[in-house]
Amino acid sequence: MKVIIDGKTIEAEENKTILELARENGIYIPSLCDHPGLAPFSGCRLCLVQIKGKKGYSPSCSIYIEDGMEVKTSTQQLRKLRKNILELILTEHPNACLMCAEKKECDEYKATIRKVGEVTGCVLCPNNGDCELQEIVEEIGVDIVDFPSYYRDLEVKRDDPFFDRNYNLCILCGRCVRICHEVRGCSTLSFVKRGPETVVSTSMDQRLIDSNCQFCGACMDVCPTGALIEKGRKYESLADDKTEMLCPLCSVGCRLEVNLGEGRLLNTRPAADGPANHGQACVKGRFLIKDLVYIEKRIEKPLIRREKKLEEVGWDEALDWVAGKLKKYKGKETAVIRSAQVSCEDGYVLRKFADEVLKTGNISSEPAFSSYRELAQKLGFMPALNYKIEEISSAETIFLLSSNISVSHPIVWLEIVKAVKNGARLIAAGPMELQFDRFVSLQLRIEPGTENILLGSLQKILTGGESFKAAKESKVAENALREAAEILKSSKSPAFIFGSESIQGPVGMEVLTALWNIALLSKGRLYHLGLESNSRGIFELDRSFNKKSRQTGLIIQDIIDNKVKALYLAGSRIELPKKARPEFLIIQDSYVSKNTEIADAVLPAAVSAEAEGVFVNMEGRVQKSGKVLEPPGKTKPDWWITSQAAKRMGAEAFDYKKPSSIIKEIRNKLPGFANVTYPALEKSKEIFIKEETPQKGKLFTQKIISLPEGNNKRYPFRLVLFYNLDFYRNLSLSEAVRGFRIFRNSQWIHICLEDADKLKLKNGDSIEVLSPHGKTKVIVRITKTVSPGIVAASPEYPIFNNTASSNVLKVMIKRGK
Amino acid sequence: MKEKVLSEHFSIDNFFKLDVYLKHNGYQAVKKALTELNPEKILKEAKAANLRGRGGAGFPAGVKWGFVPQNGDKPKYMCVNADEGEPGTIKDRYIMTHNPHLLLEGIIISSYCVGINTAYIYIRGEYENIALRLETAIDEAFQKGFLGKDILGSGFDLDITIHRGAGAYICGEETALLESLEGKRGNPRLKPPFPASIGLFQCPTVINNVETLANIPSIILKGAEWFCALGLPNDGGTRIFGVSGMVKNPGIYELPVGTNLKDLIFKYAGGMKEGKKLKAVIPGGMSSPILKADEIDITMDSDTLMKADSMIGSGAVIVLDEDTSILDVLTIITKFYSHESCGQCTPCRIGNSWIKKIVTRISRGEGKDGDIDNIARLASNMVGKTLCPLGDAAAMPILSIVKKFRDELETSIK
Repeated sequence: MKVIIDGKTIEAEENKTILELARENGIYIPSLCDHPGLAPFSGCRLCLVQIKGKKGYSPSCSIYIEDGMEVKTSTQQLRKLRKNILELILTEHPNACLMCAEKKECDEYKATIRKVGEVTGCVLCPNNGDCELQEIVEEIGVDIVDFPSYYRDLEVKRDDPFFDRNYNLCILCGRCVRICHEVRGCSTLSFVKRGPETVVSTSMDQRLIDSNCQFCGACMDVCPTGALIEKGRKYESLADDKTEMLCPLCSVGCRLEVNLGEGRLLNTRPAADGPANHGQACVKGRFLIKDLVYIEKRIEKPLIRREKKLEEVGWDEALDWVAGKLKKYKGKETAVIRSAQVSCEDGYVLRKFADEVLKTGNISSEPAFSSYRELAQKLGFMPALNYKIEEISSAETIFLLSSNISVSHPIVWLEIVKAVKNGARLIAAGPMELQFDRFVSLQLRIEPGTENILLGSLQKILTGGESFKAAKESKVAENALREAAEILKSSKSPAFIFGSESIQGPVGMEVLTALWNIALLSKGRLYHLGLESNSRGIFELDRSFNKKSRQTGLIIQDIIDNKVKALYLAGSRIELPKKARPEFLIIQDSYVSKNTEIADAVLPAAVSAEAEGVFVNMEGRVQKSGKVLEPPGKTKPDWWITSQAAKRMGAEAFDYKKPSSIIKEIRNKLPGFANVTYPALEKSKEIFIKEETPQKGKLFTQKIISLPEGNNKRYPFRLVLFYNLDFYRNLSLSEAVRGFRIFRNSQWIHICLEDADKLKLKNGDSIEVLSPHGKTKVIVRITKTVSPGIVAASPEYPIFNNTASSNVLKVMIKRGK
Repeated sequence: MKEKVLSEHFSIDNFFKLDVYLKHNGYQAVKKALTELNPEKILKEAKAANLRGRGGAGFPAGVKWGFVPQNGDKPKYMCVNADEGEPGTIKDRYIMTHNPHLLLEGIIISSYCVGINTAYIYIRGEYENIALRLETAIDEAFQKGFLGKDILGSGFDLDITIHRGAGAYICGEETALLESLEGKRGNPRLKPPFPASIGLFQCPTVINNVETLANIPSIILKGAEWFCALGLPNDGGTRIFGVSGMVKNPGIYELPVGTNLKDLIFKYAGGMKEGKKLKAVIPGGMSSPILKADEIDITMDSDTLMKADSMIGSGAVIVLDEDTSILDVLTIITKFYSHESCGQCTPCRIGNSWIKKIVTRISRGEGKDGDIDNIARLASNMVGKTLCPLGDAAAMPILSIVKKFRDELETSIK
């Protein structure tokens, strides 16, 4: 269609507002409430335009273009009107600085004055220079406001982690309210009161932390003023450089925009064009990246143990010493445990080191992927893993087998929210209730550990099976299961989304097989929520090596049995149990932890912001993370450290100058990485792991396994494990960052109100959890998501992590002292 | 005495009770509509009657029903706007108090016409007793089979639910009403889409005023021609005018559309109180522009008042005498709209608040030169520049006062 804006004829596509079309064509229309990705609001009224044949003025942000439409955006009347409206906005917002004649000089001479409590002008505002209101005042040119300024005199809200809220600066554009509701599905913020007293607030004006806020920071990112102030950068300088990196904290692979000022990382924001995250992030990517870099626990120099004490040494000394010691062990006496939060380059070198230098098969792998590998063996080909996250939003039905997804993979959850808002049906199965259960259309609440029974029964119904005995054990009503089957049958390509916790452990393989069967029957897609930022990449790399990798738990058992005597622990969150202290322990990591305290050598590794590298997210999307900062002290990237150690042990093929040469080697070796080069990754965001051509799938007979009952008297509670993924390498985020700990603590054990009442427990109580595998101290968190008799916790907490061979543990709870 | 459509039986004792109502031809219209007429016939009749909306905008009711898409797969809803919030307006409360079954009949017939099975009456929260009375009436109608499943054997089902507002003027605006009914904050929605296609719970929705619907039964029983003849050719029937202010007999007067305003005040409402002189009239609720004493020889119908730069609105006539200070009038108006703005649009939220501040300052005797120009500027920045009609509703009376009584306002400043 053709639209004429200010006399210029523009060829345009349907379904665009006048404002969108104008922006695309470089025609400036001011607006403060409109934002890409949000439904039109038409509140600020700055974007009014005149349309031929229409009376009066129309908001260009909410009027969709029509063929032959003639629009004027900048007549004298409009300019006058906009000035008048902007003047009104400025009476509600401190405006003296905006109109001050000495604006320019002032910026130069009042560099530190922003450290005040009350913002009464731009020079005192932390967002000075990063403010849309300032830009619009500049553009429209207001030099006098006829009405005296009206200061709301509201108390600045400072009692939440991560950011403060100063609604004295708010212009009520509603972007924060809308993004919280429309995009994040959270609805924490709302307008309250009316008329000139209208203000943004939470239910009953509670703190955000008490109002179900997820601290994703989306509200801050869309705020056009300085009303929402990030605590972490309040007193930092303005950004003088911007660059990008990948978030290393889960398998979604969010692209983050990094603000740098005087060489310091100021903060991170979601990149608008991030192919997986589309301008959204979660609390970790938005607020914690800076802590990963600057936290005091960083190790900056190599350490080796001499006469029972760790001593700082240079790289040469440390590496020679490590190499010398390692040489003494036989291949099978050594083991490498490696994190999947390291890049493909790092992971590859570590693997090669284990294979070719140590000559050991003891290299760790993620249990969930072992199930996948087993399935591939049964099938004769690898099932497809490359499904785009953004395609979830167009699914008609979503079958979710991960109750914690809004915490572990918030960006995937957003796509589910989007799908539900588009009319999709969400079937949520699992032993826990979803935090946002309002989006669920069918809840299949099951007994812990009975996923395979549930899915097996569902498969039976889908194949027209008549008997229905199995579902009894999972305690799902037959009609609910039948309804689920009907929904799956009636929808095109449903999305099955499941967490790693459900496909690992003793029945993990059965669950994955059942999922495969059901997806095959309903022509669905299987989305596996990988755990770490490069889980998929490490899995792909490992497939190229002949030797099988082993589950971490088995390696640790070998250490306890003294079969493995030397351990190379790289970037792993595993906390070694006391009895699993090997004879020789090398730690290649970034932070001080309990492991580093007992280590024989500590090799300081750079964090992801300090090294470039390639990561593969859960979609199979290959992305390059840039080097944003120089590594502090003597820290070095993982690939450098490992290859140096290898060289000093006499290996030859470890002469890498830069990470791109490692990628070249990977590319030549692995067909999956055929397209992966540094220049290609810089050019395109759409590079994926090449998958095998899919073959005709086959159905497997479903084995239905019931877990043994165990000792119910001694251990009356069943502990369900779910992933929060709140760790980076060997750092627990909730232990390290206080603000985060208030919001979410890995030490929390979720318990329902009835059980808490019975045991006389209240929120925050310190208690002991005992299982046949050991005991640990945890903190009570009362929640509605678990039923009586069930407690839930995140396996990042060491005891659950090391001992859990299953996702369900029998435990007892004792009050702490 | 003129023929009455709505208030004929107001004086009968216990007319709100179903048994009394039935003795006076009650539910005959529903019977006729559901057993003798089909929806097309009813729609034709409603269109022919030229029944214009009594809520304020004066949009023809039949045409509105016609906008609802037929054959969609979504349910359709009826919302009755009983959020009578326009200052001066008292008509709906009388209808609902004295003649609730007439309203129910109107709802049943129009729902049948459009193919609606669920209706909501959104009633202002302050009408506590009326809401209870309506609930009783609905219960009675259910028991007698005028509501519920298979009404009078016609196969048509209808359920009516009362929903009480929480005291916001903006919720009388139809889209804000829908938001409020859905349990959200009562902010207006963007139009298009119009409620007829996407309304309550994203479904096609008809929203009519109480008085509008209460006219439907008579149209069905006596025909469109009769109804039209009562009023004007393109604005049929009678209206309940609520006369308030400085007249001898304030109250409601059901009179044909097109009755002269002068007659309404001097003949029906008994003329001015205490022999005072008439100063001005607000003819259709507070949001309608003011008419000076010499402008009231005018017929009360939508088109004529629009030509006179005012509007018939809800037919609430507010009469001001010579002793009334126009500054006080202005103060009341701006205080009200400043408080009732939902806060979404800049010109309305901040504009009204500033007009209020300036007017209050003038009444304290601290007026300044330029104040009146500023009031006019703020008000004209509102007209046609806000999302919903509240901006207009606030600005138009203010602009008319500034225009017609500028001299008097100037004296308050000096």
